[in-house]
Amino acid sequence: MKHNVCLLEAVNLALASEMRRDEEIITLGEDIGVNGGVFRATDNLRDEFGVKRVMDTPLAETMIAGLSIGMASQGLKPIAEIQFMGFIFPALEQIICHAARIRNRTRGRLSCPLVIRAPFGGGIHAPEHHSESTEALLAHIPGLKVVIPSSPARAYGLLLAAIRDPDPVIFLEPKRIYRSQQQEIDDNAIALPIGRCFTLKEGSDITLVSWGAMISETRTAAETLAESNINCEVIDVASVNPLDMETILSSVKKTGRLVIIHEAARSGGVGADISASVAENALLDLQAPIVRVTGYDTIMPYFRLENHYLPNSQDIVDAVTQTMEFV
Amino acid sequence: MKYFKLPDLGEGLPEAEILEWYVNEGDIVDLDQPLVSVETAKAIIEVPSPQQGKVAHLFGQPGETIHTGEPLLEFEGGDDQDSGTVVGEIPQATKGSGSSDEFIIGAAPSTRSTQALHRSSSRATPAVRALAKRLNIELSHIKGSGHDGHITPADVERAAKLEQAHGKAEPLRGVRKHMALAMIKSHAEVVPVTINEDANINAWPKGTDVTIRLIHAIAEGCKAQPSFNAWFDGESLSRRIHSNIDLGVAVDTEQGLFVPVLRDIGNRTQEDLRAGLDLLRSDVKKRTIPAKELQGSTITLSNFGTMTGRYANPIIVPPQVAILGAGVIRKEACVIENNIAIQQILPLSLSFDHRALTGGEASRFLMTIIKDLEKENT
Repeated sequence: MKHNVCLLEAVNLALASEMRRDEEIITLGEDIGVNGGVFRATDNLRDEFGVKRVMDTPLAETMIAGLSIGMASQGLKPIAEIQFMGFIFPALEQIICHAARIRNRTRGRLSCPLVIRAPFGGGIHAPEHHSESTEALLAHIPGLKVVIPSSPARAYGLLLAAIRDPDPVIFLEPKRIYRSQQQEIDDNAIALPIGRCFTLKEGSDITLVSWGAMISETRTAAETLAESNINCEVIDVASVNPLDMETILSSVKKTGRLVIIHEAARSGGVGADISASVAENALLDLQAPIVRVTGYDTIMPYFRLENHYLPNSQDIVDAVTQTMEFV
Repeated sequence: MKYFKLPDLGEGLPEAEILEWYVNEGDIVDLDQPLVSVETAKAIIEVPSPQQGKVAHLFGQPGETIHTGEPLLEFEGGDDQDSGTVVGEIPQATKGSGSSDEFIIGAAPSTRSTQALHRSSSRATPAVRALAKRLNIELSHIKGSGHDGHITPADVERAAKLEQAHGKAEPLRGVRKHMALAMIKSHAEVVPVTINEDANINAWPKGTDVTIRLIHAIAEGCKAQPSFNAWFDGESLSRRIHSNIDLGVAVDTEQGLFVPVLRDIGNRTQEDLRAGLDLLRSDVKKRTIPAKELQGSTITLSNFGTMTGRYANPIIVPPQVAILGAGVIRKEACVIENNIAIQQILPLSLSFDHRALTGGEASRFLMTIIKDLEKENT
């Protein structure tokens, strides 16, 4: 059945759709039941599936994670919501020390089929702790998969894949584009692969690699650059761990130029890792140095200065122009 | 149309060099108005405008090479129809209007298809590229001696020393570059054998047209031995014998060697052939010969008799299998019925591709040609 939905509604659609198919799925989190979630991602789920499968929790992230790990290791499929990514830190001990390593610790006797959803990123004029992009922290942890959709269709397909994955998946939702894009998607229960990039626009001159909300800026930049006859290939990384370096490398070998765009702070970011892999594996194919367009190495500012921090399409156009002009 | 791209200028020529722009940015141009003259491997061609419009931008300066399909000129306004083949754009969503989201899982098709081809460019680390830039050395002219063909710093320094001592190498362009490539291909593929023999043309009346007689003789040879009027494919080991004899005639010019094609020489009168030949020669001299008049020959004649030289080993250009060379006509003391007599002698050199033909066939082919040449008239 076709649904005309935004990214947020696609998340809701995927949750409801998979919960109907699989009775082992439990959702839990702060305000997700009666309220339907602060952004309404879990709207109507409590009415349809009841309080035993859609659980409001106290404001205690450590507990949300611990509870979920217990359920997951014993055969349920919990989907926990962390209300904002900035609140995930109390839960990290549980996630890193237990969820990520249960399979390894028990030599495969137990697994942890857990999804932790969290809205992330800036651009919505939120207060402190509500705008960070710390995906690199999580991507660094072996045993965790970190997935970031950038469109309603990819949110639907990737969330299904995350739920069906036998290991813990962190599903980060770029809240800035929660409602900016409306698409018709088919509730066909077909998952998209985790660990693969998505090529959004085929091009020959330069490869632009990004994820999350920055995809919109990147696409706008690619359209602007097309007017100057610069033909950009746009790749949505979608899965920052595991990284699909094969797709990125083969594209860079074709174009010879690479600009990486992410909202998170530059140092130690996922962009640094992509850049290093390309330097290791495709140095001789590069026609110009790799350029990163990122947030700054400073605390994410409050909303009045937010737009100075966030990369925009003009920053990307400038970086691409610099790369194209490098001789 | 927003971008006008360099069209295919004839039978798959991949590139052209811009000679002169006839229009400037800001000009209004009409349909079919000449925009630019370009030199291909074969000829100088004027490219007409595909539409009426205002010129927004010209891509490329005179002297620059542009590949078929690359933008040549941008018109003001208009939509670019070339939106790529696979991926569409997501329009800005408005509430209630659905838009599809097209994407490819993994790499784009063009990425996959270029992977196999990609290794051809010169391979050098950034440090070596920087060194080459500093020493003003063109990397693409250097053969790498390092691992896997990589260009080493020593390669660049050697090239720089060479340039210092002997000057910069002049890159071949246009028709000379085309000739060099054709010769390399021939040398790599063909297994040539050359036979030399003389024709006694003492019987010819004064004023006989040598070239036309040679053309006639080749036609007679091909009729007797059709396997000489053929194309040979070394890869599939197959040959194609042609019914029409389309003769390539080598024409020497200051710019280089041209080989225009005289069509169907087996079925035309001598007057018609002479007129056709004169037209081809004058088009070549003026550099206005269309690309298609330089393609598709099935056998070649190289007559250097107006210059110097007796015999040669003419080079076969694949897929052809034979070429006849004719040298300077000379007087020679010959034995005619046990008497010595002074005779007019036309020296001939026949090269054939031994992959496609045998020595016996070549010998008989040459004999037919000589017999025809030794007649008083044809």
